[in-house]
Amino acid sequence: MEADTQAHVAFFLTGRRPSEHLDAVDGLDLRPALFAGYRELARLRHDFPLVLVADCADKQFVQSLSGLTDSALAFAARGSEGERIRKHVLQLEEEIRTLSTDGATGMLSALWATAAGRLAKGADKSLEDSLRRARAAIKVDGELANCDAAMPARLLRHAWNAVQKQKAEAFRKDLDRLVLKLSDILKADFERSAAGRSAKHLKESVGTGYGDAFDFDALSHLLAKALPKDEFPESRRRRIRELLAVLGAQQFFPASDAAAKKAAAAKPYSFFFDTCAEALSTFRKRMPKLIELAKAIAIAELEIDGQYSESKHDALFEQFGANGLDPQDLAPFPDYLVCINAEKMQAVEHAHLMEILSSGLPIKVLLQIDDILEESPNGEGNLTAGMRSRQIANMAIGLNEVYVLQSSSSNLFQFRERMLRGLTYRGPALFSVFSGASGKASGLPPYLMSAAAMESRAFPAFTYDPSAGPNWASRFNLEANSQVDLDWPIQGFAYEDEQHQTVSEDIAFTLVDFVASDHRYARHLARVPRDRWNGSMIPVDEALTRERKGLPDKIPSVLMVDVNNVLQKVIVDARLIREARRCREMWHSLQELGGVHNSHAEKLLAREKKAWEDRMQQEAEAHAATAPAAAPGAATAVVPAAPAAASAPAEQEPERAPNEAYIETARCSTCNECTTLNNKMFAYDRNQQAYIADINAGTYAQLVEAAESCQVSIIHPGKPRNPKEPGLEELLKRAEPFL
Amino acid sequence: MNMMSATECLLQMCEENFELEDYQSGVPRWCTGCGDNAILAAVQRLCRDEGLRPEKTVFVSGIGCSSRFPHYMNTYGFHGIHGRALPVAEGVKMARPDLTVFVNTGDGDCCSIGAAHWIHAIRYNMNLTVFLHDNQIYGLTKKQASPTSPIGTKSNTTPRGSYLEALNPLTVTLGVQNVSFVAQAVDWIPEVLFDIVKAAYHHKGLSFVRILQRCPEWLPKSLDPWMNDPNKVQLLNHENGLQFSAGLSKVYKNQLQHDPSNMDRAREIASSTDLVPVGILYRNPDVPCYEDLRHSDKLRTAELTSAGLNAELDKYTVWPQEMKEKVA
Repeated sequence: MEADTQAHVAFFLTGRRPSEHLDAVDGLDLRPALFAGYRELARLRHDFPLVLVADCADKQFVQSLSGLTDSALAFAARGSEGERIRKHVLQLEEEIRTLSTDGATGMLSALWATAAGRLAKGADKSLEDSLRRARAAIKVDGELANCDAAMPARLLRHAWNAVQKQKAEAFRKDLDRLVLKLSDILKADFERSAAGRSAKHLKESVGTGYGDAFDFDALSHLLAKALPKDEFPESRRRRIRELLAVLGAQQFFPASDAAAKKAAAAKPYSFFFDTCAEALSTFRKRMPKLIELAKAIAIAELEIDGQYSESKHDALFEQFGANGLDPQDLAPFPDYLVCINAEKMQAVEHAHLMEILSSGLPIKVLLQIDDILEESPNGEGNLTAGMRSRQIANMAIGLNEVYVLQSSSSNLFQFRERMLRGLTYRGPALFSVFSGASGKASGLPPYLMSAAAMESRAFPAFTYDPSAGPNWASRFNLEANSQVDLDWPIQGFAYEDEQHQTVSEDIAFTLVDFVASDHRYARHLARVPRDRWNGSMIPVDEALTRERKGLPDKIPSVLMVDVNNVLQKVIVDARLIREARRCREMWHSLQELGGVHNSHAEKLLAREKKAWEDRMQQEAEAHAATAPAAAPGAATAVVPAAPAAASAPAEQEPERAPNEAYIETARCSTCNECTTLNNKMFAYDRNQQAYIADINAGTYAQLVEAAESCQVSIIHPGKPRNPKEPGLEELLKRAEPFL
Repeated sequence: MNMMSATECLLQMCEENFELEDYQSGVPRWCTGCGDNAILAAVQRLCRDEGLRPEKTVFVSGIGCSSRFPHYMNTYGFHGIHGRALPVAEGVKMARPDLTVFVNTGDGDCCSIGAAHWIHAIRYNMNLTVFLHDNQIYGLTKKQASPTSPIGTKSNTTPRGSYLEALNPLTVTLGVQNVSFVAQAVDWIPEVLFDIVKAAYHHKGLSFVRILQRCPEWLPKSLDPWMNDPNKVQLLNHENGLQFSAGLSKVYKNQLQHDPSNMDRAREIASSTDLVPVGILYRNPDVPCYEDLRHSDKLRTAELTSAGLNAELDKYTVWPQEMKEKVA
């Protein structure tokens, strides 16, 4: 083994650099080679900054600045001036992005004006014209949000506000309807009362214009006589007043303008919390009020519909909500939102989070993780690689009834619809988000850091939506990740070599690439000077596919670039490789859940395939054995019988005695002929169709007459029961057509 | 399947079950043998089977024998004036979309004096179930020719026989824009009559059901050719329409496969004169209902009603101050 390779192996195994030809990476300011093109993020068009659109509850509640610009350009940049407008507007977009990256905040309109002001210096009039046209095409406005530590909470709270606002509107509309209808019942009750029909009230209701035109005393006297006999029960009156009081005093939603004008409504509750403990205890504290309101709404609906019956409903509603309310009942009420940071979470808070997730309460939790590369407290140099959040997200999925969304903050805009789905889900939801904004490890911006975490499988994106269907295939979605069926995503990488020739290759982006950008793990890496590169240095993904046995002869390495974008090769020690392997195994588990390379399915497929092959083989052998005996077109060939025509089963006719009188009841057209003739002998059944109720209730003559007068000829008089009935001979002749 | 919440279950658990008697009110004064009895029986059966609450159900009628229908239903009713059943029913539905509204109208009421309302009601396609009781004669006023009387019908107004071909209510209805449900039933096949009444009730939109019914008093033999010869009745069956029992099919063998979504074929079948087609001729559940198109989210408060009325009345008010200013 060459000396250099020996040194590399020693480093790989021990993490120590025994050779002077291995450099520490500290201070070299290296970054993964694939990041070479992302040094000036503000100049690159990407999803950020976002515009948190005001007053919008559909998926348009957030839009990317670049998306808005594209829409505006599609409308404004047309014709001969289109190219000029496009150029100016894209300049402005870059300026706004720079402002936002530098920390500027505010509404899109304000930043647009600032950026336009900056560009206008020294520019001609055409710029102003371009920007004016594009601005006119953008119909929305809202706060700008860049990809920073605060963004996940801002975005989720913005979406939550939009959802709650929509909920509040629907609830208020319903509440106003109930209050109006209940008040109408009381008003109607008053109008029917003696006071309501008094001369004084009648006069007031007519108004001043025609006040003298009526004799209200006489009118009152007359109306008093017509007072309804059925009195409005006092208990009902009291119940409706109580319902109105409960509906009017609710604090779950802001009162409508109309209600607020009439009475100083109580200040509505807040549903936003910084800790799970606080959210949980508040939810429990408010539960009795919630049950009281839900009960009032249910009773009010019955009252309005005139369906409330004290004898039936009093007992039923007495125990209303004794076992809490189910998710459907809780759905109209506001959801709670808790935003917590994983780093600040203590064990007690962790326990409360689990309690929320396992209890099915309508509490939505944002669990923000800023650092997924923190060192494990278990051992020197060990990585946790998102273990903390992974544990919580996995446990939440295991609970089956929690909506779980995991994503890097860079991907949240793409997950905007899934965020809304989680926020409208009837039950708890967990949003586990890696912000990439730890600020501890690298000089990389949060957007790049979080995107790298997702790309390297360190923090894969997925959703688990229990409302999407009954099985994993419909509930679990892993598709947002890049090249989901591979262990590591493969990206094309091109660079210029020493002879100024372009070299292109495909390189995998692994966990090691992601970790290599973190200064805390520099000791696991060593740069190999270019003149010492040799064939034993292989990419990490290739090293991971090799079986581990004996002394390694190939050492994993990653491609990195320095500040001047000069390509560097960095070898990796065994500890990082172990972490990468563990990360890959976890990714494999997720893949299985997402139906990619599912071991059960593959096993089943292999079994079925083998069974099919065996069957084919047996058939081929059987065919070979019998083929000579069967003459072509032999008459003995068995033709499968055609399936019998599906015929509806004939209706079973009741068995009758040969001389029995009967009616084909199902064909009776309710014409009243027979029942008018003899309503004891003929009667109607529950469908108002005739049958012979009592054959002895009339004479044979009446039976025959009914048969003759029946418009649809369905009465069959049978034979006479009384042989002594007069005129039988003639009656039998008349009955003949109906037998 | 949407699961019901515990509260929804609670709200429904005390709902009443109704019997036929809950919908019956008084003894019908129709003549013995009158087809209206069969229609009444079918409709009462529908109300019971669907559990329609009497206080949430309205029957609206115009004038004629058939228009006595609301009197015999123990529900809300509106016995209107000549030909105006449909606009009254539309008003009821507009103001109270929560009510189930049926319309009973006769061949004179609907096809003569109420013809304009009929056409526009079809076009408005409000969620109403309309039964055209067609006995082809003015019965209540003792035998005058109606628009659907067959040519040659001798009556008090046409003693030498009527001169015009009868109007076909099916083809007229099928020719109106926005038509969404047209069916034909006959009173002497109660099983099919009930099935059609039920399908009409379940259709969202205006369901127009023409029911050929006998008038034993004034036109006793008019429908005999079809009643006495089952082959002259053509049952329309289809998996998307009606399907008939084996017992019925044994008697009525003349059956035609007809998809109710096929308008051209429906018009062709409706034009038949020799055979009486029975079944659903046309059904299109996608035609929008007028009450949905004009639905307002605004809560109808006393203030809103008052403001609306004042705005209307102000149009006709002379403001003395403004008049003075104008004159000046």
